[in-house]
Amino acid sequence: MNQKNNLLVGIVIAVVAVMSFDVGVDPIGFFEGLPNLGIVLKEMTEFEGDHWQTAFWAMLETIEMAFIGTVIGVAIALPLSLLASRNLNSKFVYAPVRALLAAARTFPSILWAILFVIVVGLGPFAGILAITLYTIGFISKLQYESIEAVDNVPVEATSAIGLTKLQLIRYVIIPDSAPHLISQILYMFDYNVRQTSILGIVGAGGIGFYIINYIKFFEYGKAAVFMLVVLATVLVIDWISVKVRDRYIVKSQTGMQIKI
Amino acid sequence: MEKQIFSSSISPLSIVQMNDVFASYDSKNYVLQNIRMSIQRGTNYAIVGQSGSGKSTLLKLINGMMNPSNGTVKVNYQTPNFHEKSFKKFIAKIGYIPQNLGLVKNTTVLENVMIGALPRLGAFKSFFKIFPDKEIADAYNILKMVGLDDKAERKTYMLSGGERRRVAIARALMQKPDLLLADEIVSELDHVTAIEIMDIISDAQKKFELTSIMVHHDMNLALEYANRVAVIKKGEKILEIGVEGDEIVDFQTGNLTQKEILEQYNESEK
Repeated sequence: MNQKNNLLVGIVIAVVAVMSFDVGVDPIGFFEGLPNLGIVLKEMTEFEGDHWQTAFWAMLETIEMAFIGTVIGVAIALPLSLLASRNLNSKFVYAPVRALLAAARTFPSILWAILFVIVVGLGPFAGILAITLYTIGFISKLQYESIEAVDNVPVEATSAIGLTKLQLIRYVIIPDSAPHLISQILYMFDYNVRQTSILGIVGAGGIGFYIINYIKFFEYGKAAVFMLVVLATVLVIDWISVKVRDRYIVKSQTGMQIKI
Repeated sequence: MEKQIFSSSISPLSIVQMNDVFASYDSKNYVLQNIRMSIQRGTNYAIVGQSGSGKSTLLKLINGMMNPSNGTVKVNYQTPNFHEKSFKKFIAKIGYIPQNLGLVKNTTVLENVMIGALPRLGAFKSFFKIFPDKEIADAYNILKMVGLDDKAERKTYMLSGGERRRVAIARALMQKPDLLLADEIVSELDHVTAIEIMDIISDAQKKFELTSIMVHHDMNLALEYANRVAVIKKGEKILEIGVEGDEIVDFQTGNLTQKEILEQYNESEK
Protein backbone atom coordinates (compact mmCIF):
# COMPACT_ATOMS: atom_id res chain seq x y z
CA MET A 1 0.00 0.00 0.00
CA ASN A 2 2.71 2.41 1.06
CA GLN A 3 4.82 1.64 -1.99
CA LYS A 4 1.79 2.24 -4.17
CA ASN A 5 1.34 5.66 -2.56
CA ASN A 6 4.98 6.56 -3.17
CA LEU A 7 4.60 5.62 -6.80
CA LEU A 8 1.50 7.76 -7.07
CA VAL A 9 3.23 10.80 -5.55
CA GLY A 10 6.15 10.24 -7.92
CA ILE A 11 3.84 10.16 -10.92
CA VAL A 12 2.06 13.35 -9.84
CA ILE A 13 5.40 15.16 -9.48
CA ALA A 14 6.53 13.95 -12.90
CA VAL A 15 3.27 15.09 -14.50
CA VAL A 16 3.56 18.55 -12.90
CA ALA A 17 7.16 18.85 -14.20
CA VAL A 18 6.21 17.87 -17.76
CA MET A 19 3.21 20.20 -17.80
CA SER A 20 5.26 23.09 -16.41
CA PHE A 21 7.75 22.67 -19.22
CA ASP A 22 4.88 22.59 -21.71
CA VAL A 23 3.30 25.86 -20.58
CA GLY A 24 6.62 27.59 -20.00
CA VAL A 25 6.85 27.95 -16.23
CA ASP A 26 9.93 30.09 -15.50
CA PRO A 27 11.00 30.20 -11.82
CA ILE A 28 14.09 32.29 -12.62
CA GLY A 29 11.92 34.89 -14.31
CA PHE A 30 9.82 35.03 -11.16
CA PHE A 31 12.79 35.95 -8.97
CA GLU A 32 14.19 38.36 -11.54
CA GLY A 33 10.80 40.07 -11.73
CA LEU A 34 10.35 40.38 -7.97
CA PRO A 35 11.79 43.93 -7.79
CA ASN A 36 8.88 45.06 -10.01
CA LEU A 37 6.51 43.93 -7.28
CA GLY A 38 8.54 46.10 -4.91
CA ILE A 39 7.89 49.13 -7.10
CA VAL A 40 4.15 48.43 -7.20
CA LEU A 41 4.04 47.90 -3.44
CA LYS A 42 5.93 51.15 -2.85
CA GLU A 43 3.51 53.04 -5.04
CA MET A 44 0.63 51.36 -3.32
CA THR A 45 1.69 52.82 -0.01
CA GLU A 46 1.13 56.26 -1.45
CA PHE A 47 -2.55 56.22 -0.57
CA GLU A 48 -4.83 58.78 -1.99
CA GLY A 49 -6.91 59.32 1.12
CA ASP A 50 -9.74 61.21 -0.56
CA HIS A 51 -10.75 57.95 -2.28
CA TRP A 52 -11.84 56.16 0.89
CA GLN A 53 -15.39 57.40 0.51
CA THR A 54 -15.75 56.29 -3.12
CA ALA A 55 -14.26 52.93 -2.17
CA PHE A 56 -16.75 52.54 0.65
CA TRP A 57 -19.77 53.18 -1.57
CA ALA A 58 -18.41 50.95 -4.31
CA MET A 59 -17.88 48.18 -1.77
CA LEU A 60 -21.41 48.65 -0.47
CA GLU A 61 -22.73 48.25 -4.00
CA THR A 62 -20.64 45.09 -4.36
CA ILE A 63 -22.03 43.61 -1.16
CA GLU A 64 -25.58 44.50 -2.19
CA MET A 65 -25.08 42.79 -5.54
CA ALA A 66 -23.64 39.69 -3.90
CA PHE A 67 -26.45 39.60 -1.34
CA ILE A 68 -29.25 39.94 -3.90
CA GLY A 69 -27.62 37.35 -6.15
CA THR A 70 -27.11 34.89 -3.30
CA VAL A 71 -30.66 35.19 -1.95
CA ILE A 72 -32.38 34.92 -5.33
CA GLY A 73 -29.99 32.19 -6.45
CA VAL A 74 -30.63 30.10 -3.33
CA ALA A 75 -34.39 30.62 -3.65
CA ILE A 76 -34.29 29.23 -7.18
CA ALA A 77 -31.71 26.55 -6.36
CA LEU A 78 -33.73 24.86 -3.60
CA PRO A 79 -36.69 23.66 -5.68
CA LEU A 80 -34.28 22.74 -8.47
CA SER A 81 -32.15 20.66 -6.12
CA LEU A 82 -35.25 18.70 -5.10
CA LEU A 83 -35.89 18.01 -8.77
CA ALA A 84 -32.27 17.02 -9.35
CA SER A 85 -32.09 14.42 -6.54
CA ARG A 86 -31.91 10.87 -7.75
CA ASN A 87 -33.66 9.52 -4.68
CA LEU A 88 -36.77 11.67 -5.21
CA ASN A 89 -37.30 11.66 -8.96
CA SER A 90 -37.30 9.51 -12.02
CA LYS A 91 -34.46 9.70 -14.51
CA PHE A 92 -36.55 11.81 -16.87
CA VAL A 93 -36.79 14.56 -14.30
CA TYR A 94 -33.39 14.65 -12.70
CA ALA A 95 -31.26 14.11 -15.81
CA PRO A 96 -32.34 17.28 -17.71
CA VAL A 97 -32.33 19.37 -14.54
CA ARG A 98 -28.82 18.20 -13.74
CA ALA A 99 -27.68 19.03 -17.26
CA LEU A 100 -28.99 22.59 -16.90
CA LEU A 101 -27.33 23.01 -13.51
CA ALA A 102 -24.04 21.69 -14.86
CA ALA A 103 -24.27 24.23 -17.69
CA ALA A 104 -24.75 27.04 -15.16
CA ARG A 105 -21.62 25.92 -13.32
CA THR A 106 -19.50 25.39 -16.42
CA PHE A 107 -18.46 29.02 -16.78
CA PRO A 108 -17.15 31.18 -13.96
CA SER A 109 -19.43 34.07 -13.09
CA ILE A 110 -17.20 36.56 -14.92
CA LEU A 111 -18.01 34.89 -18.24
CA TRP A 112 -21.71 34.96 -17.41
CA ALA A 113 -21.26 38.65 -16.56
CA ILE A 114 -19.89 39.38 -20.05
CA LEU A 115 -22.92 37.63 -21.52
CA PHE A 116 -25.36 39.56 -19.36
CA VAL A 117 -23.66 42.88 -20.09
CA ILE A 118 -24.50 42.17 -23.71
CA VAL A 119 -28.08 41.32 -22.74
CA VAL A 120 -28.99 44.05 -20.22
CA GLY A 121 -26.19 46.56 -20.71
CA LEU A 122 -23.41 47.81 -18.43
CA GLY A 123 -24.01 48.08 -14.70
CA PRO A 124 -24.71 46.14 -11.51
CA PHE A 125 -27.82 44.39 -12.84
CA ALA A 126 -25.74 42.33 -15.27
CA GLY A 127 -23.47 41.38 -12.36
CA ILE A 128 -26.42 40.35 -10.20
CA LEU A 129 -27.71 38.08 -12.97
CA ALA A 130 -24.29 36.47 -13.33
CA ILE A 131 -23.97 35.89 -9.58
CA THR A 132 -27.51 34.50 -9.40
CA LEU A 133 -26.90 32.03 -12.19
CA TYR A 134 -23.66 30.79 -10.73
CA THR A 135 -25.24 30.48 -7.27
CA ILE A 136 -28.08 28.40 -8.71
CA GLY A 137 -25.65 25.97 -10.30
CA PHE A 138 -23.43 25.69 -7.27
CA ILE A 139 -25.95 25.55 -4.40
CA SER A 140 -28.18 23.13 -6.31
CA LYS A 141 -25.31 20.70 -6.71
CA LEU A 142 -24.26 20.86 -3.06
CA GLN A 143 -27.86 20.59 -1.98
CA TYR A 144 -28.91 17.66 -4.16
CA GLU A 145 -25.83 15.82 -2.98
CA SER A 146 -26.79 16.37 0.62
CA ILE A 147 -30.41 15.38 -0.13
CA GLU A 148 -29.14 12.15 -1.64
CA ALA A 149 -27.08 11.55 1.49
CA VAL A 150 -30.07 11.91 3.83
CA ASP A 151 -30.46 8.92 6.14
CA ASN A 152 -32.71 6.37 4.48
CA VAL A 153 -34.24 4.96 7.67
CA PRO A 154 -36.54 7.93 8.44
CA VAL A 155 -37.49 8.08 4.77
CA GLU A 156 -38.52 4.43 4.82
CA ALA A 157 -40.19 4.66 8.19
CA THR A 158 -42.34 7.62 7.16
CA SER A 159 -43.23 6.33 3.71
CA ALA A 160 -44.29 3.09 5.37
CA ILE A 161 -47.03 4.95 7.25
CA GLY A 162 -48.35 6.56 4.08
CA LEU A 163 -46.82 10.04 3.89
CA THR A 164 -47.12 11.73 0.53
CA LYS A 165 -43.97 12.73 -1.33
CA LEU A 166 -44.53 16.40 -0.53
CA GLN A 167 -44.94 15.62 3.18
CA LEU A 168 -41.83 13.47 3.05
CA ILE A 169 -39.85 16.34 1.54
CA ARG A 170 -41.25 18.87 3.99
CA TYR A 171 -40.86 16.85 7.18
CA VAL A 172 -37.91 14.53 6.55
CA ILE A 173 -35.76 15.57 3.60
CA ILE A 174 -35.58 19.32 4.20
CA PRO A 175 -34.90 19.20 7.96
CA ASP A 176 -32.27 16.49 7.59
CA SER A 177 -30.42 18.31 4.81
CA ALA A 178 -30.80 21.83 6.27
CA PRO A 179 -27.75 22.07 8.53
CA HIS A 180 -25.51 21.69 5.52
CA LEU A 181 -27.61 24.22 3.64
CA ILE A 182 -27.03 27.08 6.07
CA SER A 183 -23.31 26.54 6.00
CA GLN A 184 -23.36 26.30 2.21
CA ILE A 185 -25.28 29.57 1.85
CA LEU A 186 -22.80 31.33 4.12
CA TYR A 187 -19.92 30.00 2.08
CA MET A 188 -21.68 31.01 -1.14
CA PHE A 189 -22.22 34.59 0.06
CA ASP A 190 -18.60 34.83 1.11
CA TYR A 191 -17.54 33.51 -2.31
CA ASN A 192 -19.98 35.78 -4.14
CA VAL A 193 -18.61 38.92 -2.46
CA ARG A 194 -15.16 38.03 -3.73
CA GLN A 195 -16.50 37.19 -7.18
CA THR A 196 -18.54 40.39 -7.40
CA SER A 197 -15.43 42.38 -6.54
CA ILE A 198 -13.94 41.49 -9.90
CA LEU A 199 -17.09 41.62 -12.05
CA GLY A 200 -16.47 45.35 -12.57
CA ILE A 201 -13.61 44.37 -14.82
CA VAL A 202 -16.15 43.54 -17.53
CA GLY A 203 -18.39 46.47 -16.64
CA ALA A 204 -20.91 44.55 -14.58
CA GLY A 205 -20.84 46.90 -11.59
CA GLY A 206 -19.15 46.78 -8.21
CA ILE A 207 -15.78 47.82 -6.86
CA GLY A 208 -13.77 45.94 -9.51
CA PHE A 209 -14.48 48.66 -12.03
CA TYR A 210 -12.35 51.12 -10.06
CA ILE A 211 -9.59 48.65 -9.32
CA ILE A 212 -9.10 47.61 -12.92
CA ASN A 213 -9.18 51.19 -14.21
CA TYR A 214 -6.66 52.53 -11.72
CA ILE A 215 -4.36 49.59 -12.37
CA LYS A 216 -4.65 50.14 -16.12
CA PHE A 217 -3.46 53.73 -15.71
CA PHE A 218 -0.71 52.75 -13.26
CA GLU A 219 -2.36 54.57 -10.38
CA TYR A 220 -1.48 51.92 -7.84
CA GLY A 221 -1.95 54.26 -4.90
CA LYS A 222 -5.61 54.69 -5.77
CA ALA A 223 -6.12 51.02 -6.62
CA ALA A 224 -4.59 50.08 -3.26
CA VAL A 225 -7.31 51.94 -1.37
CA PHE A 226 -10.00 49.91 -3.13
CA MET A 227 -8.13 46.64 -2.71
CA LEU A 228 -7.68 47.26 0.99
CA VAL A 229 -11.41 47.88 1.37
CA VAL A 230 -12.10 44.55 -0.38
CA LEU A 231 -9.61 42.77 1.87
CA ALA A 232 -11.12 44.27 5.03
CA THR A 233 -14.64 43.40 3.92
CA VAL A 234 -13.80 39.79 3.10
CA LEU A 235 -12.09 39.41 6.48
CA VAL A 236 -15.13 40.82 8.29
CA ILE A 237 -17.53 38.54 6.40
CA ASP A 238 -15.30 35.58 7.10
CA TRP A 239 -15.27 36.42 10.80
CA ILE A 240 -19.06 36.80 10.89
CA SER A 241 -19.63 33.51 9.10
CA VAL A 242 -17.35 31.68 11.52
CA LYS A 243 -19.39 33.11 14.39
CA VAL A 244 -22.69 32.13 12.79
CA ARG A 245 -21.40 28.67 11.96
CA ASP A 246 -20.25 28.06 15.54
CA ARG A 247 -23.50 29.30 16.98
CA TYR A 248 -26.05 27.62 14.75
CA ILE A 249 -24.47 24.92 12.70
CA VAL A 250 -21.72 23.09 14.49
CA LYS A 251 -23.98 22.63 17.51
CA SER A 252 -26.78 21.20 15.45
CA GLN A 253 -24.73 18.28 14.30
CA THR A 254 -24.65 15.18 16.41
CA GLY A 255 -21.43 14.52 18.19
CA MET A 256 -19.99 17.91 17.38
CA GLN A 257 -21.11 19.82 20.43
CA ILE A 258 -18.61 22.52 21.24
CA LYS A 259 -18.20 24.65 24.30
CA ILE A 260 -18.10 28.40 23.86
CA MET B 1 -42.26 -29.20 11.41
CA GLU B 2 -45.31 -27.25 12.46
CA LYS B 3 -48.67 -28.88 12.19
CA GLN B 4 -51.39 -26.95 10.47
CA ILE B 5 -53.50 -25.74 13.32
CA PHE B 6 -55.30 -22.90 11.62
CA SER B 7 -57.66 -23.45 8.77
CA SER B 8 -56.58 -21.61 5.66
CA SER B 9 -59.85 -19.72 5.52
CA ILE B 10 -59.61 -16.26 6.99
CA SER B 11 -60.71 -16.08 10.56
CA PRO B 12 -63.12 -13.18 11.12
CA LEU B 13 -61.11 -12.03 14.09
CA SER B 14 -57.69 -12.14 12.52
CA ILE B 15 -55.99 -8.90 11.60
CA VAL B 16 -52.97 -10.58 10.03
CA GLN B 17 -53.16 -13.84 8.17
CA MET B 18 -50.25 -15.49 6.37
CA ASN B 19 -50.61 -18.63 4.32
CA ASP B 20 -47.52 -20.53 3.15
CA VAL B 21 -45.52 -17.36 2.74
CA PHE B 22 -42.08 -17.37 1.17
CA ALA B 23 -40.03 -14.19 0.97
CA SER B 24 -36.74 -13.40 -0.68
CA TYR B 25 -34.62 -10.33 -1.42
CA ASP B 26 -32.67 -11.80 -4.30
CA SER B 27 -35.07 -14.47 -5.64
CA LYS B 28 -32.47 -17.12 -4.79
CA ASN B 29 -32.28 -17.47 -1.03
CA TYR B 30 -35.47 -17.44 0.93
CA VAL B 31 -35.34 -15.38 4.12
CA LEU B 32 -38.75 -16.70 5.08
CA GLN B 33 -40.20 -20.08 4.23
CA ASN B 34 -43.54 -21.69 4.71
CA ILE B 35 -44.78 -19.12 7.18
CA ARG B 36 -48.30 -19.67 8.42
CA MET B 37 -49.65 -17.37 10.99
CA SER B 38 -52.90 -15.94 12.11
CA ILE B 39 -52.88 -13.04 14.49
CA GLN B 40 -56.13 -12.21 16.26
CA ARG B 41 -57.22 -8.68 17.03
CA GLY B 42 -56.16 -7.54 20.45
CA THR B 43 -53.24 -9.96 20.69
CA ASN B 44 -49.83 -8.94 21.93
CA TYR B 45 -47.85 -10.99 19.53
CA ALA B 46 -44.11 -11.46 19.81
CA ILE B 47 -41.74 -12.82 17.21
CA VAL B 48 -38.48 -14.13 18.63
CA GLY B 49 -35.36 -15.30 16.89
CA GLN B 50 -31.71 -14.61 16.28
CA SER B 51 -30.41 -11.88 14.03
CA GLY B 52 -30.81 -12.79 10.40
CA SER B 53 -33.63 -15.22 11.07
CA GLY B 54 -36.07 -13.18 9.00
CA LYS B 55 -37.99 -11.43 11.80
CA SER B 56 -37.77 -7.91 10.34
CA THR B 57 -38.81 -9.20 6.92
CA LEU B 58 -41.94 -10.58 8.51
CA LEU B 59 -42.91 -7.07 9.66
CA LYS B 60 -42.18 -5.61 6.23
CA LEU B 61 -44.55 -8.14 4.68
CA ILE B 62 -47.29 -6.91 6.99
CA ASN B 63 -47.06 -3.22 6.16
CA GLY B 64 -46.48 -3.81 2.48
CA MET B 65 -42.88 -2.60 2.31
CA MET B 66 -42.13 -5.99 0.83
CA ASN B 67 -44.17 -8.46 -1.18
CA PRO B 68 -44.03 -12.22 -0.63
CA SER B 69 -42.49 -14.25 -3.44
CA ASN B 70 -45.05 -16.96 -2.75
CA GLY B 71 -48.13 -17.40 -0.61
CA THR B 72 -50.65 -14.86 0.57
CA VAL B 73 -50.55 -12.17 3.19
CA LYS B 74 -53.79 -10.58 4.33
CA VAL B 75 -53.83 -7.60 6.64
CA ASN B 76 -57.25 -6.37 7.65
CA TYR B 77 -58.61 -8.72 4.94
CA GLN B 78 -56.58 -6.95 2.24
CA THR B 79 -53.38 -7.75 0.44
CA PRO B 80 -50.82 -5.14 1.51
CA ASN B 81 -50.24 -2.95 -1.52
CA PHE B 82 -49.00 0.61 -1.47
CA HIS B 83 -50.81 1.49 -4.67
CA GLU B 84 -54.21 0.34 -3.47
CA LYS B 85 -56.17 3.28 -2.13
CA SER B 86 -58.06 1.37 0.52
CA PHE B 87 -54.88 -0.19 1.86
CA LYS B 88 -53.13 3.15 1.87
CA LYS B 89 -55.83 4.40 4.15
CA PHE B 90 -55.27 1.44 6.46
CA ILE B 91 -51.51 1.80 6.37
CA ALA B 92 -51.82 5.16 8.10
CA LYS B 93 -53.19 3.13 11.00
CA ILE B 94 -50.34 0.65 11.17
CA GLY B 95 -47.93 2.10 13.68
CA TYR B 96 -44.46 1.20 12.50
CA ILE B 97 -41.26 1.48 14.50
CA PRO B 98 -38.29 0.16 12.51
CA GLN B 99 -35.14 -1.10 14.15
CA ASN B 100 -33.30 2.20 13.86
CA LEU B 101 -36.47 4.10 14.76
CA GLY B 102 -36.37 6.37 11.73
CA LEU B 103 -36.69 9.65 13.61
CA VAL B 104 -35.90 12.93 11.90
CA LYS B 105 -32.86 14.09 13.88
CA ASN B 106 -32.94 17.77 13.07
CA THR B 107 -36.50 18.55 14.10
CA THR B 108 -38.18 18.79 17.44
CA VAL B 109 -39.75 15.95 19.34
CA LEU B 110 -43.21 17.45 18.73
CA GLU B 111 -42.68 17.62 14.98
CA ASN B 112 -41.53 14.01 14.89
CA VAL B 113 -44.70 13.03 16.73
CA MET B 114 -46.86 15.10 14.36
CA ILE B 115 -45.51 13.04 11.45
CA GLY B 116 -47.81 10.28 12.70
CA ALA B 117 -50.81 12.55 12.09
CA LEU B 118 -49.78 13.71 8.61
CA PRO B 119 -51.69 11.07 6.62
CA ARG B 120 -54.90 12.50 8.14
CA LEU B 121 -54.06 16.11 7.24
CA GLY B 122 -54.58 17.82 3.93
CA ALA B 123 -51.69 18.67 1.64
CA PHE B 124 -51.99 22.44 2.15
CA LYS B 125 -52.21 22.33 5.94
CA SER B 126 -49.37 19.89 6.31
CA PHE B 127 -47.13 21.86 3.95
CA PHE B 128 -47.52 25.05 5.96
CA LYS B 129 -47.51 23.19 9.27
CA ILE B 130 -50.98 24.39 10.23
CA PHE B 131 -52.08 21.75 12.71
CA PRO B 132 -55.60 21.64 14.15
CA ASP B 133 -55.64 22.42 17.89
CA LYS B 134 -57.06 19.01 18.62
CA GLU B 135 -54.13 17.25 16.95
CA ILE B 136 -51.66 19.31 18.95
CA ALA B 137 -53.54 18.55 22.16
CA ASP B 138 -53.49 14.84 21.23
CA ALA B 139 -49.77 15.01 20.58
CA TYR B 140 -49.17 16.54 24.01
CA ASN B 141 -51.34 13.90 25.67
CA ILE B 142 -49.38 11.14 23.99
CA LEU B 143 -46.08 12.81 24.90
CA LYS B 144 -47.30 12.92 28.49
CA MET B 145 -48.07 9.20 28.30
CA VAL B 146 -44.53 8.40 27.19
CA GLY B 147 -43.11 10.90 29.69
CA LEU B 148 -41.69 13.44 27.26
CA ASP B 149 -44.17 16.33 27.53
CA ASP B 150 -41.49 18.58 29.01
CA LYS B 151 -39.18 17.91 26.07
CA ALA B 152 -41.62 18.57 23.22
CA GLU B 153 -39.56 21.44 21.84
CA ARG B 154 -36.21 19.66 22.25
CA LYS B 155 -34.33 18.71 19.09
CA THR B 156 -34.37 14.96 18.62
CA TYR B 157 -30.62 14.55 18.25
CA MET B 158 -30.20 15.80 21.81
CA LEU B 159 -32.15 12.89 23.32
CA SER B 160 -30.85 9.71 24.92
CA GLY B 161 -31.45 6.26 23.43
CA GLY B 162 -34.38 5.56 25.75
CA GLU B 163 -35.95 8.95 25.03
CA ARG B 164 -35.65 8.42 21.28
CA ARG B 165 -37.58 5.19 21.62
CA ARG B 166 -40.29 7.07 23.50
CA VAL B 167 -40.52 9.56 20.62
CA ALA B 168 -40.85 6.70 18.12
CA ILE B 169 -43.61 5.17 20.24
CA ALA B 170 -45.36 8.54 20.47
CA ARG B 171 -45.17 8.95 16.69
CA ALA B 172 -46.68 5.51 16.20
CA LEU B 173 -49.46 6.23 18.73
CA MET B 174 -50.18 9.54 17.00
CA GLN B 175 -51.23 7.46 13.98
CA LYS B 176 -54.19 6.26 16.13
CA PRO B 177 -53.10 2.78 15.12
CA ASP B 178 -55.12 -0.41 14.94
CA LEU B 179 -51.94 -2.38 14.68
CA LEU B 180 -48.50 -1.62 16.10
CA LEU B 181 -45.35 -3.09 14.56
CA ALA B 182 -42.08 -2.67 16.43
CA ASP B 183 -38.75 -4.10 15.40
CA GLU B 184 -36.37 -4.88 18.28
CA ILE B 185 -37.29 -1.67 20.01
CA VAL B 186 -35.52 -2.50 23.27
CA SER B 187 -32.64 -4.67 22.03
CA GLU B 188 -29.87 -2.16 22.58
CA LEU B 189 -31.12 -0.82 25.90
CA ASP B 190 -30.08 -1.71 29.42
CA HIS B 191 -32.52 -3.90 31.32
CA VAL B 192 -34.12 -1.15 33.42
CA THR B 193 -34.76 1.15 30.45
CA ALA B 194 -36.02 -1.79 28.40
CA ILE B 195 -38.60 -2.59 31.07
CA GLU B 196 -39.66 1.10 31.19
CA ILE B 197 -40.17 1.18 27.43
CA MET B 198 -42.06 -2.13 27.40
CA ASP B 199 -44.32 -0.89 30.21
CA ILE B 200 -45.17 2.22 28.19
CA ILE B 201 -46.11 0.08 25.20
CA SER B 202 -48.05 -2.29 27.39
CA ASP B 203 -50.05 0.62 28.92
CA ALA B 204 -50.74 2.04 25.47
CA GLN B 205 -51.95 -1.32 24.27
CA LYS B 206 -54.48 -1.49 27.06
CA LYS B 207 -55.57 2.11 26.64
CA PHE B 208 -56.03 2.08 22.87
CA GLU B 209 -56.95 -1.63 22.53
CA LEU B 210 -54.13 -2.19 20.06
CA THR B 211 -52.99 -5.31 18.39
CA SER B 212 -49.22 -5.38 18.57
CA ILE B 213 -46.63 -7.40 16.76
CA MET B 214 -43.20 -6.96 18.25
CA VAL B 215 -39.94 -8.48 17.20
CA HIS B 216 -37.69 -9.43 20.10
CA HIS B 217 -34.27 -10.82 20.59
CA ASP B 218 -34.87 -11.79 24.18
CA MET B 219 -37.22 -14.70 24.87
CA ASN B 220 -37.75 -13.76 28.53
CA LEU B 221 -39.03 -10.31 27.54
CA ALA B 222 -41.36 -11.84 24.98
CA LEU B 223 -42.79 -14.29 27.48
CA GLU B 224 -43.31 -11.51 30.00
CA TYR B 225 -45.17 -9.07 27.75
CA ALA B 226 -46.75 -11.03 24.93
CA ASN B 227 -49.68 -13.38 25.07
CA ARG B 228 -48.53 -15.26 22.05
CA VAL B 229 -44.97 -15.95 20.94
CA ALA B 230 -43.67 -17.28 17.65
CA VAL B 231 -40.10 -18.49 17.34
CA ILE B 232 -38.43 -18.04 13.97
CA LYS B 233 -35.29 -19.91 13.05
CA LYS B 234 -33.58 -19.61 9.69
CA GLY B 235 -36.73 -18.27 8.09
CA GLU B 236 -39.07 -20.90 9.43
CA LYS B 237 -41.53 -20.76 12.26
CA ILE B 238 -40.51 -23.58 14.53
CA LEU B 239 -42.73 -22.88 17.50
CA GLU B 240 -45.81 -20.92 18.38
CA ILE B 241 -46.96 -20.69 21.93
CA GLY B 242 -49.72 -19.01 23.85
CA VAL B 243 -48.86 -17.41 27.15
CA GLU B 244 -51.38 -16.97 29.89
CA GLY B 245 -49.97 -15.97 33.23
CA ASP B 246 -47.33 -18.54 33.98
CA GLU B 247 -48.91 -21.26 31.94
CA ILE B 248 -47.68 -21.71 28.42
CA VAL B 249 -49.48 -23.64 25.77
CA ASP B 250 -47.55 -25.11 22.90
CA PHE B 251 -49.89 -25.88 20.08
CA GLN B 252 -47.84 -28.83 19.03
CA THR B 253 -47.04 -30.63 22.24
CA GLY B 254 -49.66 -29.52 24.70
CA ASN B 255 -49.00 -27.72 27.96
CA LEU B 256 -45.51 -26.86 29.00
CA THR B 257 -44.06 -24.87 31.83
CA GLN B 258 -42.18 -21.65 31.16
CA LYS B 259 -38.97 -23.40 32.11
CA GLU B 260 -39.50 -26.12 29.57
CA ILE B 261 -40.25 -23.61 26.84
CA LEU B 262 -37.06 -21.73 27.58
CA GLU B 263 -35.13 -24.96 27.50
CA GLN B 264 -36.69 -25.90 24.22
CA TYR B 265 -35.94 -22.44 22.82
CA ASN B 266 -32.34 -22.55 23.95
CA GLU B 267 -32.04 -26.00 22.46
CA SER B 268 -33.28 -24.72 19.12
CA GLU B 269 -30.81 -21.84 19.14
CA LYS B 270 -27.85 -24.22 19.28
